[in-house]
Amino acid sequence: MLANTRELHKKPLLQRTTILFWLGCGLIFLTPWLGLQFGATDLSWQQVLAGLLGEGSSHVERVVMDLRLPRTLIGLVIGIHFALSGWLLQLLTRNPLAEAGILGISGGASLVAVAAFVVGDWIQSGDNPYGGIPFALQYLPLLAMLGGLLAALTVYGLSLRKGGLSPVKLTLTGAVLAGMLHALTTGGLAFWGHAHTELVAQWLAGSLYGTTWAHLEALLPWTALGMIGVLILLRPLSAMQLEDEQARSLGLNLNRWRAIALVVAALMAASAVGIVGPVGFIGLLVPHISRRLAGSGLLVQFLMCTALGATLAVVADTLGRTIFAPYELPVGVVSAALGVPFFLYLLSRQP
Amino acid sequence: MLRTDRLTLAYGSSDVVHELSLAIPTGEISCLVGPNGSGKSTLLKGLAGLIAPRQGEVLLEEQPLSLWSRNELALRLAMLPQKPIVPEGILVKDLVALGRFPHRKWWQRDGREDREACQQAMYMTGVEALAERPVASLSGGQQQRVWIAMALAQQTDILLLDEPTTYLDWGYQLEVLELLVELNKSRGLTVIMSLHDLNQAAQFADHVMVLENGQIEAAGTPGQVITETLLAQVFRVRGVVSLNAEGRPFCMGHGTSDPDRPCRA
Repeated sequence: MLANTRELHKKPLLQRTTILFWLGCGLIFLTPWLGLQFGATDLSWQQVLAGLLGEGSSHVERVVMDLRLPRTLIGLVIGIHFALSGWLLQLLTRNPLAEAGILGISGGASLVAVAAFVVGDWIQSGDNPYGGIPFALQYLPLLAMLGGLLAALTVYGLSLRKGGLSPVKLTLTGAVLAGMLHALTTGGLAFWGHAHTELVAQWLAGSLYGTTWAHLEALLPWTALGMIGVLILLRPLSAMQLEDEQARSLGLNLNRWRAIALVVAALMAASAVGIVGPVGFIGLLVPHISRRLAGSGLLVQFLMCTALGATLAVVADTLGRTIFAPYELPVGVVSAALGVPFFLYLLSRQP
Repeated sequence: MLRTDRLTLAYGSSDVVHELSLAIPTGEISCLVGPNGSGKSTLLKGLAGLIAPRQGEVLLEEQPLSLWSRNELALRLAMLPQKPIVPEGILVKDLVALGRFPHRKWWQRDGREDREACQQAMYMTGVEALAERPVASLSGGQQQRVWIAMALAQQTDILLLDEPTTYLDWGYQLEVLELLVELNKSRGLTVIMSLHDLNQAAQFADHVMVLENGQIEAAGTPGQVITETLLAQVFRVRGVVSLNAEGRPFCMGHGTSDPDRPCRA
């Protein structure tokens, strides 16, 4: 009887991990294709292939290579950024509600980004109401990252008591700071009150609209850095799942590793916010879904998060572009609409 | 050897443990007993190096704990807190494997040696059959054995436990204590634990230390320490101490020693 139940517990788990792995690999290569094929004008798969190989018509080539391919790849990358950042933050605060938005990281990035719009507009104000925008966009990822990092370090500094850092205090401090930063951002926008607040508003809703190869180039170094960071953090993170005292008695230098994890999470979230604006739900949902599918192994969770985050962002953006074409729904809105029902389904299946 | 030298531990401005000097006998089972709020948990955390002393020292091998690196200390000394929180969704084998943390650097993955240590720890605690089960789905007694397995996988020669029997049914309490005795006998493990139940301390400990208001009231073998005077003075209990078949003291409480005395806050 006992041996029997053991077998039952063992087998599906092994098979499941393998299946999940191949499923993840398949998804991460197949979903971008959807992003390339569908949009305001649907292409056939032959056209997409021709466009990718540089053999299509100039129209197809422009749609595939200049518009959809960079946008789809950025979708993949920001999905990974938000998902991994949320996963790290949930682990290090041991709080299932933690993500970059709740901890004030997105708020800090947004505030600095909006300030950059305003200052850009002020420097290059002229007859053209959009004069300052290109200037601001150029430096946006870097500025937003500084803002996010600053917010993260402020939260960390404020919640650091002598001797240790309590996860509860970290979450509370983050939530308060996030509220304040959001108020400042909204206030700044109202104060600015120009015609092009619309553009900023769209950015603040989390949108991949108008992203280019340049954005991808700005983002990729941070993706690489973040992934390496997560791999380095895997082992310390496994001990961080335990209570602080237990983690320390296992020999973990808790404050140091927690700070490193926080910085990596902040860099990933804030650099993505700089490109597409704050997208909340990916960072909140994908880690939960990954944990339920992958079990307790952190390496599998990490791979799962990467695959699911990328997939969800691309699928959400493709749907957002096609459902109400030519109007666009921001990726943040669609990813929430897609992710929440699935999340609730997983919750209801939990014993 | 683990000992303290005029150790003062404090939270904020109030001392919880005051100028305490004690020595933990190596290779024996030591029990800390005392009323609630006497500083048992704080002293255990101090011994594990989790609280920095306000004054005095905790010394391991005559070296102050502050001179030990966290990792080196984790190779010598394992600590099990009173009611550890189980990480969400974690499996028994993965939790036990966390005990190997100090044996590997952050770039290393678990090797054969680590897997063997985990297997052995799970075998000794009788949880190998549960290896693939989520820890959260187990009973309190099984969970406690899994935690002990994790501490054993750490392969230290000193194990500190904060009230390992609280929240457990009677049968499970004895099971945990018998396991600790067995480990002490077979591996020479030095066990230091706080216990609520004086009779369990009397039955299982080699060395009993009585803590009251952050001071050691008495220390020695159960027979030397557990007396009717101690029951009255420290625990406010009027009772009888007799010897059982194994020559260990056995307490029977008949009532409080002075009903007029107000309860301690």
